Amino acid sequence: MNLMLNILLNVFIAFFIGSILIGLQRKIMARIQGRPGPPVIQHLLHTLKFFIKESAFPKTAAMPFYVAITAMLFVIWVAAVIDGPVTEGSLLLIFAIYTIQKIGEHNAGSSSGSPYGKMSCVRAVYSAAAEVPLFAVLIIIYLKAGTMNISSIINYQSIHGPLLFTIPLAAIMFFVLILSKSQYSPFAITKGKDIVSGYETEHFGLLRGYLMISESIAWYMLLWVFLTVFLGPLSLPAYLIGMVVLSAIVAFINAVTPILNPNHSVMMQVSFAFIGIAGSIVLLMI
Amino acid sequence: MDKLKIISWVLFIVSIGSILFALIFNPASWIVYTIALVSIPVSVLSFGIVGMAKGNKDDEEGKRREPFIGY
Repeated sequence: MNLMLNILLNVFIAFFIGSILIGLQRKIMARIQGRPGPPVIQHLLHTLKFFIKESAFPKTAAMPFYVAITAMLFVIWVAAVIDGPVTEGSLLLIFAIYTIQKIGEHNAGSSSGSPYGKMSCVRAVYSAAAEVPLFAVLIIIYLKAGTMNISSIINYQSIHGPLLFTIPLAAIMFFVLILSKSQYSPFAITKGKDIVSGYETEHFGLLRGYLMISESIAWYMLLWVFLTVFLGPLSLPAYLIGMVVLSAIVAFINAVTPILNPNHSVMMQVSFAFIGIAGSIVLLMI
Repeated sequence: MDKLKIISWVLFIVSIGSILFALIFNPASWIVYTIALVSIPVSVLSFGIVGMAKGNKDDEEGKRREPFIGY
């Protein structure tokens, strides 16, 4: 297939499926909480709707940084799609992209001039301290599979079986990372409703829609990486089922768990990371 | 047409043109990656700026008279 067409198709699929999965998550959360909830396509509709809404840029915004940061977030997620489903390249690049996303959240918050954005910007730095250790899961994968290349990890699993069963604690650590990135998560301190919408508060209209596209691609990519790295070679229907199941589990946890305060959120994630890393190393030595 | 709209139209045409170039002529991989990384986000953003609704001129004055101007 033509490489550009392949990239375009994958970016569109990531956006479309990511949007639907986020919508599904909200629906499941609502049903658990005894509400009818929005339609499953609500997130997708919102994203498209924002593109035709009246947009304005706040006087307090640091232009052109305020706009450029949204483009940067989009660029890194297109890069993730290229490195992931398109080329099955390096897992380290995906790690770098998630780290840059934290910088993106930080800068989106600080560039808007809003106090909510600034609070979110501080929290983004704070939460990075918790999420980066969770990414140490990559070291465990490297120690087990002997490679950081996604296609080689898939090959390893087709011979030795899914990594989910050989390094389960690493899989749990990665799941906690997925949970922390989901909307309404107990760990989602950068977008907690106590600070309105966090770093997105002053990004409304077109720029909010633009950010929501990045969010949808990010959610799809997180699930794709989890399924690929821990379950190995999967067919398209298996990917879809896996993504729906993971989103449903995340929705269930989010529906029954209140958002934690920043200190508890960070400490809980660091604890998960510590138990995961230490436990995985012990399991590898046995 | 204001400056932002003109720049957005130019960026939109250039980014769509470069995507079409990569689709039709299938250049070397690194060129396609560069085009994808730059042109896909730029085309979506510029399309959004070109298509976004603008506020009413009459309301503009009211917004400017807003006493709370910043933080």
